[in-house]
Amino acid sequence: MIEFRNVKKAYPHGTMALKGINLHIDDGEFVFIVGHSGAGKTTLMKLLLREERISSGELLVGDYDLSKLSNFKVPFYRRELGVVFQDFRLFPKKTVYENVAFAMEVVGTPRKKIRRRVPAILNTVNLAGKQDSYPNEISGGEQQRVALARALANNPQVIIADEPTGNIDPKMSLEIMNLLLKINKLGKTVIVVTHEKNLVDYYQQRVVSLRDGLIVEDRIGGMFSEKV
Amino acid sequence: MRRYNIFYFIKEAFLSMVRNGVMTFASIAVLLSLLVVTGGFALLVVNIDKNLESIGVMKQIVVFCDRSASEEKVNEIYEKLIKLDNIEKDENGNVTGVVRVTKAEALQQMKEQSPGTYDDVTDENNPLYDEFDITYVDNAKVSELDYQIRQIDGIVKVNNRLELATSIENMKSGVMVIFVWFLVVLGVVSVFIIINTIKLSVFSRRNEISIMRYVGATGTFISLPFIIEGIIIGLVSSVIGYFIEMYVYSYVTKMVDSEIGQIISVYPFDDIKLYVLFGFLGVGIVTGIIGSVISLGRYLKQ
Repeated sequence: MIEFRNVKKAYPHGTMALKGINLHIDDGEFVFIVGHSGAGKTTLMKLLLREERISSGELLVGDYDLSKLSNFKVPFYRRELGVVFQDFRLFPKKTVYENVAFAMEVVGTPRKKIRRRVPAILNTVNLAGKQDSYPNEISGGEQQRVALARALANNPQVIIADEPTGNIDPKMSLEIMNLLLKINKLGKTVIVVTHEKNLVDYYQQRVVSLRDGLIVEDRIGGMFSEKV
Repeated sequence: MRRYNIFYFIKEAFLSMVRNGVMTFASIAVLLSLLVVTGGFALLVVNIDKNLESIGVMKQIVVFCDRSASEEKVNEIYEKLIKLDNIEKDENGNVTGVVRVTKAEALQQMKEQSPGTYDDVTDENNPLYDEFDITYVDNAKVSELDYQIRQIDGIVKVNNRLELATSIENMKSGVMVIFVWFLVVLGVVSVFIIINTIKLSVFSRRNEISIMRYVGATGTFISLPFIIEGIIIGLVSSVIGYFIEMYVYSYVTKMVDSEIGQIISVYPFDDIKLYVLFGFLGVGIVTGIIGSVISLGRYLKQ
């Protein structure tokens, strides 16, 4: 469960990025967060990742109250999330296998378990056979699938994808989205931040539309809002 | 929280050093040159200090007794001399710094030093004085001692090296101050350059660090490989530096010994090798760790 209660975020130089967000996302939901540049999507992401602190209000993610979370506990909170970025953010000098395994090494997973689980996850994202390749040897779509596999590695309940299709071609975009839906069907909460109208309209999931730091529309089975 | 296997971090550190080979090479090169330069400088200082010290060791005053002084009188002078302050004593408090040299002994010494020259001088026409060779402790109080000796009845002449001793003391402290400052400045510059080199290496890997943070790595998990890397860089630089220093120092020592060995004495490398080795290891490893920690600081903020 993710709950925003009148969340406001002001940056030190005075920009009011979020002006009072109220949003409730249940476990197992699939949500698109849409909006144009400057609407507050990125700030919302940063708050969820606890890269930034909220200025006022309350933000709860599972058992964590992010308004009170100490810096020391942040790494442990982040292990509950799986994150996918537009620019993939893979280790260029690690193989596909090592990139996925790394997320598990970080949390101290025994090597035996890593050796069992990584191939299984790579299989889930249709990357079986690519485990010894380096990121620069595979396509953008495949790199994003590696990132997705890494996000899934520790079996988190929430997957956050920030413009996951921003750097890949349309055909690959559909594949990534289908994978995210497949993951959602496995019971995970999936939040996709995007400004790609076609994708949002095609999949018709819950759509939360942001504009100028406020939610202007929140519809289940919605389309990319005209209000943004 | 799970405990991590230290071998994992060591493996990661080695892999990262290989993958960022150029940066690793640069760090080792910088640390190595600074260690060799700083170490060479320290050895120079130590040897200069040793030579100054050996000049300063001649803390002696020679006291001449009146030629007409009787044996009783000379003994009386001796009794007075051993009661003075600032005279060398052994660990049991016995005075060792007053040695009597009779005029016969003095003549004998001269005859031994220059055979044949003084053959016509005999005990009867011996022009020398009964003398006392006095060894004192503190150069700073030598003028006081000199004055006290002159007050003793029956003493006709006092030879001391007060001026020489004072100027050597002054020179020694002056030289040491300059050298120590040089060492401090060189040390600070070394640390600064190392920090910057490691900062560059951390900067070039800031994306890796940000990925680590997003997958939930703790500060310790992120920094340990960098710190181990710093230790390895320090270790490698110190060992290479040690061998370079050994080669250069032995070469210079050989040259000094053959050219001006009678004037200047130099520590043999064997006497100081452990100091050099452990000094290098200590400085190298600590600099590596400090460099890593300082350079990482900014990137570890959540």
